[in-house]
Amino acid sequence: MNRNYIYLTFLILILSAGVFFLPERNNEKFLNPEDLMWDIMNPSRFITTDNIAQMIIEKDPTLELIDVRSVDEYNDFTLQGAINIPLDSLCAEGYQDYLGIEDMNAVFFSNDDIKADQAWVIARRLGFGSIYVLKGGLNCWINTIIIPKMPVETASSEAFEQYNFRKGASMYFTGAEISSDNAGEKSSVKVTRKKKKAVAEGGC
Amino acid sequence: MGPLIPQGIIIGQWDFVIALLIGMAFGFILEASGFSSSRNIAGVFYGYNFVVLRVFFFALIVAMLGLLYFDYFGWINMDLVYVLPTYLPSMILGGIIMGFGFLLGGFCPGTSLTAAAIGKIDAFVFIGGVFIGIFIFGEAFPYFEEFYTAGYLGNITIGEVLGMSNQLVTLGVVMVALAAFWGTWLIEKRVRKRIKLFKF
Repeated sequence: MNRNYIYLTFLILILSAGVFFLPERNNEKFLNPEDLMWDIMNPSRFITTDNIAQMIIEKDPTLELIDVRSVDEYNDFTLQGAINIPLDSLCAEGYQDYLGIEDMNAVFFSNDDIKADQAWVIARRLGFGSIYVLKGGLNCWINTIIIPKMPVETASSEAFEQYNFRKGASMYFTGAEISSDNAGEKSSVKVTRKKKKAVAEGGC
Repeated sequence: MGPLIPQGIIIGQWDFVIALLIGMAFGFILEASGFSSSRNIAGVFYGYNFVVLRVFFFALIVAMLGLLYFDYFGWINMDLVYVLPTYLPSMILGGIIMGFGFLLGGFCPGTSLTAAAIGKIDAFVFIGGVFIGIFIFGEAFPYFEEFYTAGYLGNITIGEVLGMSNQLVTLGVVMVALAAFWGTWLIEKRVRKRIKLFKF
């Protein structure tokens, strides 16, 4: 028998015995504070109510709305298709299965965006990705989508387009009657040119 | 540091390139170990050649020890390493079917490609059979989907099931492997009269 085989056997034996002397390594399962800080500084986690309204209307299958308010508040009013994970049970067993689903974008919302943002920080710390916060929360939802305010007359055409979209969305969500005031319609400006005066005939 | 793709050190789109490189290295080792010969592979069932057992078992213990030491050095985060989910009944049946295929065809799917690379006709036939099998499996999948997904145990490891530490499992596997190396050597020496030992 080749002596190298015996050496190899002993080497493997020593290495496998050596693993018992390795100290247990505590791998950091959570996001480290510095990365979390940079994530918090980054405002790209905020989604506007207009975007959410459009996603709901278009029945975007990747949208996962998570209401972080209490169960009572959730039962009173919530967004279409939202699930309820109260902020205090975010770390509880079973609830985290709703986060980190592949290809799903979880959007937290509450009355304003403070509680939702807190939920976002906790979820981020737990290591979940593809999570967002509804900017302004449900109050902003009511003020922009359900009862949209008409922009002032001097506002840009984008503001009027947005207003039109919001009015449509409001009808979609509340089933309100279509009121046919053409407030947002652009009226085409007619340019009337002065006719050139006919050159005086004759004269001096 | 690692695993590199889940940590975002390498972006996910690179995985096919990395798979290609690892595949080439794997094929090279298979060919260098003589796995392109179905005599070597089927020999393990007849008791005259245990090179398959030795090479795969040795690769296994090197990988186990390597991961434990890499974890200690901080080169890999074992919590992020993907563990395949376990479906017990379908895995047992799959293993039996795979073993029969091994015995009948003289190749496993990987070694058949290695043998095809050096132009063995039986390997090409084997690969043809593999693809026919994949096609039948895919088409008939709805009929046995229930069995396929039965007995789901999650992403478990042997250590978790038996309540042992990874170190203990590794030591156990190393012991079994070393016993297998020396045991098969004795069997081989009896079955084959003229045996030549690989020198390194």
